[in-house]
Amino acid sequence: MTTIEVNGRSYDAPEPGRNLLSFLRLDLGLTGTKYGCGEGLCGACTVLVDGQPLRSCQSTVGAVVGGAITTIEGLARAGELHPLQRAFIEEQAMQCGYCIPGFLVTAAALLARVRQPDEGQVREALALNICRCGTYQRIVRAVLAASRSGAEAPADA
Amino acid sequence: MPDARFDEPGLHIVGEVALGFPPPRQSYARVAYANTQPGTVTARWLTVRPDGRVVAYAGKVEYGQGIRSGLAVEVADELRVPLDAVEVVLGDTDAVPWDMGTFGSQSTARVGLQLRKAAATARQALLEMAADRLDLPAGELSAAGGIVSARDGASSVTYVDLLHGVSATRDVADDAPLTPPADFTQMGKAQPRVDALARVTGAAVYSQDVRVDGMLFAAVLRPPAHRAHLRSVDIAAAGRMPGVVRVVQEDDLVAVLADTDQHAEAALAAVRAEWDDAPPSSSLELPALLERSAHDPFVTQEQGSLDDGFREASGILEATYFIPYVSNAPMEPRAAVARWEGERLTVWAGTQRPFGIRTELAQRFGMPEEQVRVIAPEIGGGFGSKSPYPAAHEAARLARIAGRPVRVAYSRADDFQHATVRPAALITVKSGFTADGRIVAWQMDARHAGDRPFLGRRGSETPYDTPHVRVTTYTSDSPLATGSYRSLGGAANHFARECHIDEIAHAVGVDPVELRLRNLAHPRFRRVLERAAEAFGWSPAPAGSRRGHGVAVGLDVGSYVAECVELDVSGGEVRVRRVVGALDCGLVVNPEGALNQMEGSVVMGLGTALYEAVDFRNGRVLNAGFTRYRVPRAADAPRIETLLVGDPETPSTGAGEPGIVPIAAAIANGVFDATGQRIRELPLQRHLA
Repeated sequence: MTTIEVNGRSYDAPEPGRNLLSFLRLDLGLTGTKYGCGEGLCGACTVLVDGQPLRSCQSTVGAVVGGAITTIEGLARAGELHPLQRAFIEEQAMQCGYCIPGFLVTAAALLARVRQPDEGQVREALALNICRCGTYQRIVRAVLAASRSGAEAPADA
Repeated sequence: MPDARFDEPGLHIVGEVALGFPPPRQSYARVAYANTQPGTVTARWLTVRPDGRVVAYAGKVEYGQGIRSGLAVEVADELRVPLDAVEVVLGDTDAVPWDMGTFGSQSTARVGLQLRKAAATARQALLEMAADRLDLPAGELSAAGGIVSARDGASSVTYVDLLHGVSATRDVADDAPLTPPADFTQMGKAQPRVDALARVTGAAVYSQDVRVDGMLFAAVLRPPAHRAHLRSVDIAAAGRMPGVVRVVQEDDLVAVLADTDQHAEAALAAVRAEWDDAPPSSSLELPALLERSAHDPFVTQEQGSLDDGFREASGILEATYFIPYVSNAPMEPRAAVARWEGERLTVWAGTQRPFGIRTELAQRFGMPEEQVRVIAPEIGGGFGSKSPYPAAHEAARLARIAGRPVRVAYSRADDFQHATVRPAALITVKSGFTADGRIVAWQMDARHAGDRPFLGRRGSETPYDTPHVRVTTYTSDSPLATGSYRSLGGAANHFARECHIDEIAHAVGVDPVELRLRNLAHPRFRRVLERAAEAFGWSPAPAGSRRGHGVAVGLDVGSYVAECVELDVSGGEVRVRRVVGALDCGLVVNPEGALNQMEGSVVMGLGTALYEAVDFRNGRVLNAGFTRYRVPRAADAPRIETLLVGDPETPSTGAGEPGIVPIAAAIANGVFDATGQRIRELPLQRHLA
């Protein structure tokens, strides 16, 4: 039986054509990753595969078997929030919150790659995520604050 | 209603549901959705549990406006307990007082006030209990941090001690002593958002996330265009597709029920349907349609005599402004899950009107409302468009037919095609003014698409001190289904008015801020404008200064607002660099909430100003996705500074909507200032020379 690793846990993989977002949300119940557009245009469905951001709505389980998947539920480690999660709470970088997991996961990939990005790099990294409530100013501020907090993001998240 | 639970231990505060709401005849919900007002229903608003935890109940829903936090702060402050001792239960018809719906920026103004009274009633009750316990006059006691203490500090007792073994119910005292603003310890100060942790960990549950045991996934056949009717359908092939449990065809409802979402979608694609054509229509011809079909004139404002006014005027301007349809496009497409247990129905639906949907479902199935429970979980945005909620009906019907729980979820394309859009509008303004820029005559004729005239009336009245005025709104035919959007028609009416004011300023060669001040006596209006201009660093210059500075003011839901923008125009792109806004919404309960709403309003309004328009042909939306329907992204968002300038003694008015009403005009005025091009059609980027 093929297995798939999500947030450090191993699950039986469904048929390879299973949509990755549907698998995570509806089969595993990891509903923190959101459906926003189904076209890879809004970023709400972003997960990490081996540390790289991936639009899960545009992927299948078969395409990622063998990789380690991290969803928003796996961003905190051992009960400790990721610095980004703390910063988003602190800056109240959310309104309805539906897009926020996608922003957090995308930003986590950025900080794993660039420890101290400038504002332009942050906005560019988040350019493919939509927050319809318009909280971009707070989101950018939160990412910059997290990058300055000194806490190093885990390499694979 | 919650009466059944009143034997729970603790101190319960109950009150009439109607207390917190306007009389039914004036009620928006009554006009818009035929909601019925309950007679005299008593409901529980607040419980102080024996362990000191406080639970507040409200029929509002949380869809991004931060109302859970705002209400929690109000209760905590009035009841003198820490914020984290308060839990707010929202939007579950089995648990909370009846509510007309979450719209019109009424949550803080009305339900917040009701909960403050409930909390103040509870505080008084606890003080009286403490007076008995400590054998001191209640007047010598005060409460803080969940403890009642004698003023001399000699004795004290905690709420937990007072409530041990107590089960008591009190009525909300309408004259309960509310805390004066000077004594606030939590209201009006920066507070954490109480539901932030669930939002950053993915634990928050939205309609799209609801899963119940045995649930089937539905794919519903939807028309390709608004007003296209099903001519014939063949479901045979769909029934043979993998994973399909059942194909439903009942009246207008055709749907596939399957074991997974993908199987349902694949089988739906095998349904062969033929549709009658929708009536011909085109976004290109929309302005002409709005003009041609305008009917039912309604005068929203009339004073003086326009003839006299235009005679007094030394200059006259007439211009027409066009505002296209825009999509609310909340990040969460609509979804609902329904479950029947015998003759009891439970529906999870991210609607702004859980009680209204309950009434509708009870009527549909011919059952008492008590047997229907509607739960609005977290809602991923809505901005007005989630009041109607057809997905709840679809899920309930399908679950009844299947005998199993059913989930219905819209795709993004469904949401663009089948949710309501903001009414398009075509607005003509004719003004007369003196050489020094005093506006003496103002005639505005606003044609708004759609069948709900009150949408277009919102914000149509001019706030300027003009002696001769007539403002008339009209209803025009609409090829798309229109509905509520942040500020309803307020943003469209403000766009026309505030652009036109700028045109007058340019015509007389007066600075746009100065011209507004010359025509605005209202002190709250003057203050927001002066404070915004000052913080922006506005330096007077006649409009057309080539600096890319723009200004506009607004009045919505009782709140006053002014916004100044700074922008660049190059290569067909407008980049808004900075927005400085001042908002007077009276007493601010939750400043971070109000600031967040202003920022969101600015960004949302920026989209309508620069990019957004729903294109359609024959009832079909042509840009039903984020590739061709551009919404603001991180790189488009300006730096936003907001000043909250209201007096705490002034009652709270709305903060969620006012910020959007001036912004499109402020940006259009900034584009004119930068380029000299006066664009009277939105979105501006389509019309830049």
